[in-house]
Amino acid sequence: MNLIAHPELLELLAASHALGTLRGGARRRFEALAREQAPVRAAALVWQGRLASMTELQPSITPDPAVWTRIRNMIDAEQSKLAIERQRDAANARAADKAQQPQQGGWLRSLALWRGATAAGALATVLAVTIGLNLRDQLHNAPAVQYVAVLSDDKDAASMLVTFDPKKKQLVLQRVGGFSEGDDKSLQLWALPPGGAPRSLGVLDNAPGLRLAASESDVHAVPALAISLEAKGGVPAGSGPKGPILFKGALIEKTI
Amino acid sequence: MPDNPWMTAPSPDAELMALIDRIGHRDEAALRLLYDRTSPKLMGLAMRVVRQREWAEDVLQEAFLTVWRVAGDYRSSLSPPLAWLGLIVRSRALDLLRRRTADRAQLTQEFDELMADTLESDAPNPADTADASEQAWALHQCLSQLEGRQREVVSLAYLREMSHGELADQLKLPLGTVKTWIRRGLEKLRVCMGRFA
Repeated sequence: MNLIAHPELLELLAASHALGTLRGGARRRFEALAREQAPVRAAALVWQGRLASMTELQPSITPDPAVWTRIRNMIDAEQSKLAIERQRDAANARAADKAQQPQQGGWLRSLALWRGATAAGALATVLAVTIGLNLRDQLHNAPAVQYVAVLSDDKDAASMLVTFDPKKKQLVLQRVGGFSEGDDKSLQLWALPPGGAPRSLGVLDNAPGLRLAASESDVHAVPALAISLEAKGGVPAGSGPKGPILFKGALIEKTI
Repeated sequence: MPDNPWMTAPSPDAELMALIDRIGHRDEAALRLLYDRTSPKLMGLAMRVVRQREWAEDVLQEAFLTVWRVAGDYRSSLSPPLAWLGLIVRSRALDLLRRRTADRAQLTQEFDELMADTLESDAPNPADTADASEQAWALHQCLSQLEGRQREVVSLAYLREMSHGELADQLKLPLGTVKTWIRRGLEKLRVCMGRFA
C-alpha cells in the first residue's frame, strides 16, 4: 500500500509507532517503509519529536539533596581516575621513547635477535607462568582502598594522589605532577576537618611514592586534604601550616 | 514572520543549551546549574515512570551521570534541551523497570492504587510547563483537549512503554476500550498538532 498517498493514515501510523503501541508485524512493516521512503521516515521522526515532549510535561518533585552529593562524588571519582590515567599514559610514553632510542638503527636486521627468538619463545612460556603466579600474589596482597583524594594545584592540575588503606593503616601518597619542593623545603599533608583547624597527617620526603601511618579516625569525616610548603622537616607538632597551601582536594569515601 | 512565537517568545532553551554545551567541556559547575534547574522536573518524570521515590532518585542519578558523559553529543540530536534530558531519564527509568521485573507484582499493586485515583477523577491536565519547549507547550495544549482518562492512557503508553494488552491488564479495562481510547486520542493529537506544525 502506498502510504504517501494516504497522509492521514501515514500520520496515525507514525504517531502509534512513536507512542510505542504499534507492535509486531505492523511495526516491522512500517519501519521497513520508513527506511525506503523519506516522507514516511520524516513522519516517523516528527512524531518521535512531538511525543518526546511528553517527558517535559510531568509535575515537578524535589529530589533528596543526597542525590546531588552522590552524582558529584561519582563524577569527582571519575575525573580523578581520568587525571591519573593521563599522567600515567604520559609517563609511559616518555619511558617508551627512552627505551626505543638505543635500538633505533635496525634491530629487525640483527641476526643475534633472530637467533635468540626461539629461545625467547620458550622463555616467554616460563615467564607467563611466573607472571601468572605473581599476579595471583599481587591480587591477594592488593591494597584495600577506603578513601581517595586527588590533590590539585591552583590550576586544577592533579599533583598528588592520596589513598587510605584501612588494612595496613596507612596513607599512600603518589606524586603525579612534576612539582619539586627543592632540598631546603618539605611538603606537609593536612586533614581539613569541617569547622576545625588543619591537622597534620605527616611530612613528606622527596620520594615519588610515600606511606604515612594513619588510622581511620584520622581521615573519617574529613571532607578535604591539603599540602603546604614548609621549611625542611615541616612545622613543629601542634602548629598549623605556616607556608602556602600548594595542593588540595576532596577526600572521597569509596562505597564500592 | 514577525508573529512567529519561535522568534519572539523568551525561551529557556538557549540557557539550558548553553549549560549542556559547557558540560560537554567537562564543566562541573554547569552540571550543578543544570541539575538545580531541571532536577525537580526530571524527578517528577522519573517518579511517573517508576512510581517509587528511591528508584526515581536512582534513575535521576544515573541520568545525570549519563548527561555528564554524553553532553558533547547533544547538538547532533536536534532535540529541545529539556526533551533530550527527558528522553535520557525515561530510558534510564525503563532500564530500571526491566531490571526490577522480579518485583512486578508489587509494582502492579501500587500502580492500580494510583490509577484508581487518576482514572476516576478525570483531573485537569496537571502538566507543569515551566521551562518546557515550544513543542512541549503545543503538545500540552493538544493533550488538554483529550478527556482525562484518554490522556492518561496515552501518556502511560508512552512514558512506560506499555502495549495495549499491558495497559488493559494494569488498568483493569477491556482491551477494546484501551485500543479505542488510544486511537481516538492519537487522532485528536494528529489534528491538533497539525495546527502547530
